[in-house]
Amino acid sequence: MKTFELHLPKTLDEALALLEAPAATPLAGGQDLLTELKEHLVAPDALVDLRGFQGADKIELAADGALSIGAGVTVAALEHHAELARRWPILAEAAASIASPQIRTQATVGGNLCQRPRCWYYRNEALVCLKKGGTECFSYGGHNKYNAILGGGPSYIVHPSDLAPALVALDAEVEIASKKAARRRVKLASFFTLPAEGDVLRENVLVPGELVTAVHVPAHAGNWKSTYLKFKERSSFDWALSAVAIAARMDGGKIAEVRVVLGGVAPRPWRASGAERVLTGRAVDDAVAREAGDAALAGAEPLSGNAYKIPLTKGLIVKALRRIGGRA
Amino acid sequence: MILREQSPQDEPKTPPAPGKKWQRVTVAENGQEVEKWIEVDAASAEGWPERAKMRLLNQDITRVDGPAKVTGAAQYAHDMRAPRMVYARFLRCPKPAAKIEKISLEAAAKMPRVVTAVSLGVEETRFLGQPIAVVAAETPDAAEEALRAIEVAYGALPWVLTHEQAVAENAPIAVKRKLKEGEKPGNRVDERKSGDRDAVRAAIEAAPHKVEFTYTLPVQHHACLETHGVMVDFRGGGEAVVHASTQGTFTVHDDAAEKLGLPAAKVRANVQYMGGGFGSKFGLGVEGEWACELARRLGRPVHLLLTRADEFLFAGNRSGAVQKLAGAMAADGTLLALDAEVDKLGGVSRGSFPGQPYIYKVGQSSSAIRYVYTNTDGARAMRGPGHPQASFGIESLIDELAYLAGQDLLEVRKKNLEDKVYHRQLERVAREIGWYEHPHRAKPGAHTEELGVGIGFAISTWGGGGSPACQVDVRIQRDGSATVTCGTQDLGTGTRTYMATIVAELLGLPATAVEARIGSSEYGAANPSGGSTTVASLAPAVLEAALGARAKLYAALAPALKTKPEALSLDVEGLLDAASGKRMSWKQLCALLPSEGLSARGEWKQAHAGRGVHGAQAAKVEVDTLTGRVRVLKMVGIHDCGIPMNRLTLKSQINGGMIQALSYALLEERVLEPALGAALNADFEGYKIAGTLEMPELVPLVDDDDTRQVVMGMSEAAIIPGHSAIANAVHNACGLRVRDLPITPDKVLMGLEKLRTQS
Ligand SMILES: Cc1cc2nc3c(=O)[nH]c(=O)nc-3n(C[C@H](O)[C@H](O)[C@H](O)COP(=O)(O)OP(=O)(O)OC[C@H]3O[C@@H](n4cnc5c(N)ncnc54)[C@H](O)[C@@H]3O)c2cc1C
Repeated sequence: MKTFELHLPKTLDEALALLEAPAATPLAGGQDLLTELKEHLVAPDALVDLRGFQGADKIELAADGALSIGAGVTVAALEHHAELARRWPILAEAAASIASPQIRTQATVGGNLCQRPRCWYYRNEALVCLKKGGTECFSYGGHNKYNAILGGGPSYIVHPSDLAPALVALDAEVEIASKKAARRRVKLASFFTLPAEGDVLRENVLVPGELVTAVHVPAHAGNWKSTYLKFKERSSFDWALSAVAIAARMDGGKIAEVRVVLGGVAPRPWRASGAERVLTGRAVDDAVAREAGDAALAGAEPLSGNAYKIPLTKGLIVKALRRIGGRA
Repeated sequence: MILREQSPQDEPKTPPAPGKKWQRVTVAENGQEVEKWIEVDAASAEGWPERAKMRLLNQDITRVDGPAKVTGAAQYAHDMRAPRMVYARFLRCPKPAAKIEKISLEAAAKMPRVVTAVSLGVEETRFLGQPIAVVAAETPDAAEEALRAIEVAYGALPWVLTHEQAVAENAPIAVKRKLKEGEKPGNRVDERKSGDRDAVRAAIEAAPHKVEFTYTLPVQHHACLETHGVMVDFRGGGEAVVHASTQGTFTVHDDAAEKLGLPAAKVRANVQYMGGGFGSKFGLGVEGEWACELARRLGRPVHLLLTRADEFLFAGNRSGAVQKLAGAMAADGTLLALDAEVDKLGGVSRGSFPGQPYIYKVGQSSSAIRYVYTNTDGARAMRGPGHPQASFGIESLIDELAYLAGQDLLEVRKKNLEDKVYHRQLERVAREIGWYEHPHRAKPGAHTEELGVGIGFAISTWGGGGSPACQVDVRIQRDGSATVTCGTQDLGTGTRTYMATIVAELLGLPATAVEARIGSSEYGAANPSGGSTTVASLAPAVLEAALGARAKLYAALAPALKTKPEALSLDVEGLLDAASGKRMSWKQLCALLPSEGLSARGEWKQAHAGRGVHGAQAAKVEVDTLTGRVRVLKMVGIHDCGIPMNRLTLKSQINGGMIQALSYALLEERVLEPALGAALNADFEGYKIAGTLEMPELVPLVDDDDTRQVVMGMSEAAIIPGHSAIANAVHNACGLRVRDLPITPDKVLMGLEKLRTQS
């Protein structure tokens, strides 16, 4: 890999100052970035290692369900937080579904949200695809089994993060810091961008110099149930072929309010508003769940090799709703 | 049964030498089994101990080198280091075929810590990822970085990557070859034909139950944990050691010596531990050749072990197969006819395929076996070369026909198998998997159920015989230490362990009391480990050496004890003199030996080895029709092999075979990009191998009904049937037949959608 300068700042402010330099890149757990470096997908002049201060990052959970997670919290810490697992099983389940135990001990929440796509055309250095400044998304006419069925075009990547759909289902916001501007908070749902909307070379609204510092989940009054159901081609460790994140406020046997977010099927976490409309105010059995699945996938536009993601995602919605309803 | 080309069926006409007889033996050539007739001793005095009296053989013995492996003390070729050693890396051609018009190495050679950059002198590359230059540097990183500074001007050449591209009209020619008279140019080449196709087709037409389908198997990778390569410890003097990751200690050092410009006697191959080969690691290879060449030029040790991407692109693979099978069955389940058209996909080589019908007896059959060239690296032997492919075709077809005929899937197999060993093995696995209580024995489960459970069967065959070559030395010293030595290699199968065990069994010692020394070309000769021939080639020689040492021991001690050698025997309590009833401990008796101790050499004896391995496996799966998930719940395997040298490692071989087959059934597949000429999953992220969570309950059964008092190798038989059993179990669970492996959720879901719209 190209030689680079490694900075080891001790504070966030120091890091933000260092990140002002062009082509300075933040380094957290390194589980994605180091691979990108070694495979020559990126060649930054400087790395700014965040771990000098991220070690202090915490998970803070309030009685009303409000939650703050520092960007440096590891995926393993999310997975093993007992109280969190009771209050928001969706997060523990999402965390546990990620990569391997070894990787989870290093990978951070901030890095997980900001990781780059896994599309095998993108990851092959020799293929200069749209995501790398080329003119074509090779998956479109190629091996697109793992690519998007929703929100695709002109790039058909799927967003790789499992934490993202789970956190969007909890209506989370990200806190963003930079040297130039005041801290800002952005809804995670609008943090991620579609290739057609924004810069096709990026997956989110961050601009150089900015850092994700925390994720905040607002208070959730009432009886909330949540779950993350991820389907991997290889159970042992793999990315999602499809995933369903659901958070629902229950009123007796009925769903009073619900957020349904799909992972692994779109370039960003995909809010399935159609399914939410079907479910709201209903007691959920398999028939209603199938109706919700149909609504969620109504707009799907599969490529040549990924139409299976439609029945798959519908199936996962049925299974996830059984968990929400305590039927599985 | 199995088509083996050029295998002489009849005994040679010339009479054998006095005291000898003709014996048909199996030898491994490039991982393939080849059969030959040789002269062997007509009678053998002593053989394997009676099974009832075995203390160590036919028991569960943990590997003697297990602790070294799990603690990391075991040194593999990858781990070898030497002073002033350089690391070498290959530059791969990024195109499936290209003219190398110009290659500029200067910039690379001038980079920091780079020692040299060399062109391999390739003018035209023939396959994707072919190595074209090599760099040596003080660190691996520096070598890798330097590769990027090599400038190559590639001239365009046409190419084909996939079967579809290769067989298309006017496809570019992947491999240039001499055409036979009247032969049209093309990538598909006829290899062999059998049977009267028209007659077979007519028989199929007339039969009550018939099917015609194409069964496809992907290219699979060996995925050895240790990549291919060597560390050549040459320091510019008159001798060298080649630390090699190889399946044949004696397959590297001659070529290495030549490359190093040294006499063969001055070059030693060292193979203490090797991290998997599965048929892909014979000979020096391009990596070993260049390591030696660089070492000679630099006068320095060279570490050249392939990167994982190299490994995926040019270290061999199991050939893919496209089999068009048409078959027919009578109402009573008898297989009437089979016509097979088989394309092997072996890249720039031919690939393997034993033939159809595989094992089963079919009324009449015809086949055309062809190979199809593509611009990908050549297939190599891989555990049971060709057999898993043939198994998948025939076992799938049998189930499809059996369902049409309403036949029990187990009974229909027995009906079409003459060899009764299969009957008992099939019944055994059927009992163990719960077949007789299973609801879908002649009709698959319904695709309308959310969860379906299915069972599938498949069988295998293998030779597993041995051949001469091994020279084994057993040495006993005055302090009681015992060693058994041979230059052979241990592929992880437990070779060291059974060498020690055999000697310990005969001398009345615990297995740990005998030290096995292997993996050096300075020790006695040994054959390479291919075709599951190691145990049947080596164990007889170990037995002979142990018998010889024991006889010498008796002869040496008898005078001192004032008894006859015939009166002496050894067991766990030491020596017993039957004449006097006196006993002596091992330590005491060894102390009576002369200072040089004693040693005996053993060579292969046919009488101790056998051949003819069978096997049956059953798989039970659960199919989730909502998600397309296939979960293997249980696999059962049984394979006969004469005397189990070690029941534990035997069961490990069966488990390993079933695990590799599971992975082949559900996940593994090389993915190429035909439009761009690229490989998409030359890494362990995209090339998915089953992990811990995929593991079912594994039940390896030792076939104790096989009472042959000989040794044979069964390892390859264990990988042949598992994926076929799984594919059959998927069909049995939900009525969906997936005819191209791997059976991934996308195929299951789309297949189920189709079934739904059809019904
Ligand atoms: C084999 C493997 C399998 C995996 N499987 C999964 C999976 O199934 N699901 C899943 O969700 N993930 C998976 N991952 C991804 C893994 O979880 C991520 O690599 C990890 O979360 C990234 O975190 P990190 O802290 O290591 O980030 P790094 O690798 O350090 O950084 C990743 C990217 O984010 C940027 N970045 C890091 N922190 C910040 C920040 N605070 N603000 C702004 N930008 C930042 C970096 O500059 C870099 O571009 C897998 C990874 C591997 C290697």
